Amino acid sequence: MVASLRLPSLTSLLYPAATRYPATLRRTVCLRNRTASGFATAPSSTAASPETKSDANRLRSEQAVTPRSQDFNAWYLDVIASAELADYGPVRGTMVIRPYGYAIWEAIQEYLNVKFKETGHSNMYFPQFIPYSFIEKEASHVEGFSPELALVTVGGGNELEEKLVVRPTSETIVNHMFTQWIHSYRDLPLMINQWANVTRWEMRTKPFIRTLEFLWQEGHTAHATPEEAEKEAKQMIKIYTRFAFEQTAIPVIAGRKSKLETFAGADITYTIEAMMGDRKALQAGTSHNLGQNFSRAFGTQFQDENGERQHVWQTSWAVSTRFVGGIIMTHGDDTGLMLPPKIAPIQVVIVPIWKKDTEKTGVLSAASSVKEVLQAAGVRVKLDDTSERTAGWKFNFWEMKGVPIRIEIGPRDVSSNCVVVSRRDVPGKAGKVFGISMEPSTLVAYVKEKLDEIQSSLLEKAVSFRDSNIVDVNSYEELKAAISSGKWARGPWSASDTDEQRVKEETGATIRCFPFEQTRGTKICLMTGNPAEEVAIFAKSY
Amino acid sequence: MAMSVQSTEGKRALGSTSDENSVVLKSSSTPVRVNGQSSLQKEIKKETRLGISTKKDEDFGKWYSEVCRCGDMLDYYDIKGCYILKPPAVKVWGILRAFFDAEIEKMGVEEYYFPLFVSPSCLEKEKDHIKGFSPEVAWVTRAGESELSIPIAVRPTSETVIYPYFSKWIRGHRDLPLKINQWVNVVRWEFSDPIPFIRSREFLWQEGHTAFATKTEADKEVFDILQIYSDIYEKLLAVPVIKGIKSENEKFAGGLYTATVEAFIPSSGRGIQAATSHSLGQNFAEIFGISFENKERKLEKKETKRSLVWQNSWGISTRSIGVMVMTHGDDKGLVFPPLVAPVQVVVIPVPFNGFDVNIIYEACEAVKSTLLAAGIRAKSDNRDTYACGWKYADWEQKGVPLRIEIGPRDLAKNQVRIVRRDNGAKADLPRGDLIEQVKDMLGKIQQSLFDAAKRGKDACTQKVENWDDFMEALSQKKLILAPWCDEVEVEKLVKERTKTETGAGAKTLCTPLEQPDLNEDTLCFASGKPAKKWSYWGRSY
Repeated sequence: MVASLRLPSLTSLLYPAATRYPATLRRTVCLRNRTASGFATAPSSTAASPETKSDANRLRSEQAVTPRSQDFNAWYLDVIASAELADYGPVRGTMVIRPYGYAIWEAIQEYLNVKFKETGHSNMYFPQFIPYSFIEKEASHVEGFSPELALVTVGGGNELEEKLVVRPTSETIVNHMFTQWIHSYRDLPLMINQWANVTRWEMRTKPFIRTLEFLWQEGHTAHATPEEAEKEAKQMIKIYTRFAFEQTAIPVIAGRKSKLETFAGADITYTIEAMMGDRKALQAGTSHNLGQNFSRAFGTQFQDENGERQHVWQTSWAVSTRFVGGIIMTHGDDTGLMLPPKIAPIQVVIVPIWKKDTEKTGVLSAASSVKEVLQAAGVRVKLDDTSERTAGWKFNFWEMKGVPIRIEIGPRDVSSNCVVVSRRDVPGKAGKVFGISMEPSTLVAYVKEKLDEIQSSLLEKAVSFRDSNIVDVNSYEELKAAISSGKWARGPWSASDTDEQRVKEETGATIRCFPFEQTRGTKICLMTGNPAEEVAIFAKSY
Repeated sequence: MAMSVQSTEGKRALGSTSDENSVVLKSSSTPVRVNGQSSLQKEIKKETRLGISTKKDEDFGKWYSEVCRCGDMLDYYDIKGCYILKPPAVKVWGILRAFFDAEIEKMGVEEYYFPLFVSPSCLEKEKDHIKGFSPEVAWVTRAGESELSIPIAVRPTSETVIYPYFSKWIRGHRDLPLKINQWVNVVRWEFSDPIPFIRSREFLWQEGHTAFATKTEADKEVFDILQIYSDIYEKLLAVPVIKGIKSENEKFAGGLYTATVEAFIPSSGRGIQAATSHSLGQNFAEIFGISFENKERKLEKKETKRSLVWQNSWGISTRSIGVMVMTHGDDKGLVFPPLVAPVQVVVIPVPFNGFDVNIIYEACEAVKSTLLAAGIRAKSDNRDTYACGWKYADWEQKGVPLRIEIGPRDLAKNQVRIVRRDNGAKADLPRGDLIEQVKDMLGKIQQSLFDAAKRGKDACTQKVENWDDFMEALSQKKLILAPWCDEVEVEKLVKERTKTETGAGAKTLCTPLEQPDLNEDTLCFASGKPAKKWSYWGRSY
């Protein structure tokens, strides 16, 4: 659409001339013309999308998912559809988050929100629209983001005087306001956070992992000294790291990004990198030391204790709905989703089993009293008492949904006052324990203990998977070999940006981070043979 | 409005209050200095210039935006009609959200997130609906360096985003009722002058969308939700509201009927739509093809067994915060009802020359901790760069319901001085049963704010039965209850005839659910035709 176009009415705005938009294009944007079953085909209104038809077709069946071992990508999309975590949005690359997926996001929010407040941050809400001129103020920022910016140029039927950016991140608007709020050292540190949606017009999208619009929290802080800013940036990446380990059982590797991978406008970017089940790396959270880049661009200054004007030192940090994708891809197996108990929307599912109608009442009443007992003890529990499905179907269904513990109650259990407890993470008979007493204190203690066990066992499994897939390399040849076998390569690195670029082009791997945890001893750069200060981790990534 | 507020920034005067004087008398406090530097002293002086410069009954509009800013609720922004919501506002919103979430969870509503972007073909499907919203839509036309072949709308509301999924997810009886809710931002590129919280181009809200097998179930939910909205206003925000039904003119575009809670702002003489719960009937179901296999339905010839669902949608927005500010604020600034106050009690040390200030600080911290442990949102203000008189004014401006002052005399008597924000009443409380007393006072403040607001609204309400009385009442900024013939044309005519140079005409606010008796021979105040109902009329936001 040309910029000077006048817009007298909505209809003419959208279809000024029928010939400009081929009918096929027009049709694809409407959801209802797509297949209705399973995960609707990814719409492709404006550009090619990675969720190709073949992907979508795999998602037809209601329950069974493609085994993970067979096709990781197909498995991932199947799990999201079958477990009802999300659905494709009506506009290409967008996503509808369904209650089961949203509840995981809420668990993430609840934990982090408390941590942010404990560390002195307040929640705010900034407008979604940013004047384009703001974005342009920080040179590397605009360079990094301009290919992904969504621009609003028409509002209320009129062409806008200045085009507005739908926020891709809020450093610019935050700094614009900080400049008005910060006057003296007494206004510092200023530490805020917001929970918001952001938009980045990505070409290759994947549910949760990379979508045009996603939900996140973004923290923004301003400090009087570079030391405080650095401390804050590190503190936040530590909070993310702890969250990943303790709540989601994802053994992320925390470290510093290379210059090439640093956030557009930051001095230093800290990151947590997670290894997915296909051994690709996922950047799961970042914390940036912004130095004075934005404060200089926006003139964010304060008067220090000696009455001198100085630019503030800043940080920003974020975790998004991408983390949900990380949880799926870390713990899931051939059967489907596997959720760590601490963030599982349902921790225990109770499946009552009966054959004759005479058994039904006894079984159901035992099942609901077990539910009440667990609920009162703070366990997130669901009783699946529908009579439309068989117990076997329900077992499969809740396994696919990744519920950590299943409790089975049949007529014999009722008479012996016992239940059967099955662990999602230990398949088959090995994970099944018979004869657990229904007596409330025994049952609650047992279930809680098992939930803790599952939580730590998922972490252990993920740690050993991660560690067995990181190869220490000392030459470029070794690095190439490690990457081509699908693993992560860890080796000493002090080479140039050009060399780093070359590795990316030749192997598809990038520096994920220089990990905080470094090996001891002298290091020789794997690429140049020069002395190196640190080891870097290379991997292919999402 | 934005401009005028910015220019008053420099003119903020000291909020001189009676408490100021009492403080001086009580302990002749002096500002505590860290190191006695003269530059610091200067800064203190400059910083003391705070306070609302406009009186509520002199220039209400100006007063309101000053209160919003000085109370630290929001800030203005370069894009007209977009505001920054600051921590107290976000906190209040969080409290309302937690309350509402707990209520709708009991009703079986689940949380979703639907995308911000709407494709034009979906947005345009319902003709009346799009006619209502199209003038206000913001369009994304460019992405990166390229023009989009089809522009994409930013959601003004999500009916057209969500209903295609209803059609996909609802197959049989078992899929009903489907009840979803989401907490999101929406954008309406309005033309009229923006007012913080009340009318902004981007705002936060929850939107609920539900589908039922029968109209009876749907109707029941419309009013269940309306009751929760009424509770949010009356119980949490201490704002009295009228539950009613919107007129044909004012109902949601594309819906069957709209139930509403309406508030009234005596200071401006305007009604305000506080939250709405819409019965959408089967209109959207028909357009979006949302149907289910209905086993209970008897088949006529040629009929399929599928039935259309009955739908509702309902929403409350950050506008509610603005209504609260307008209702309770006074010439000193914000007044928070205790239940939604981000800080319920502020504890302020009152230092005295020659007395060890650290002992006072410790006592303040101890009182704060006691209150926090009892679940009261308390804060102590130990900033040593400000005088306590300045702090009093600062926290009054921010609307904190209770202030506790602790000085040497209080320490000696093992008591605290407590001051109510809403009426300035002071009392000395023994430290022993502080928690009980504070809880009791917070409860009383909550009630008395509601009572005062109710009295204010009732005093403005006037019953009229003819045109002259109507015009007279309107000129006196009343909330008018009048018998009406319920004809669309008549409402339009009233609107036309009451238009002024500066503003829109009067319209119906709602037809209250609670109807006064209507004599058979009562005539419509405007048309002279037989009246069908009593409706509220007035100018509105």
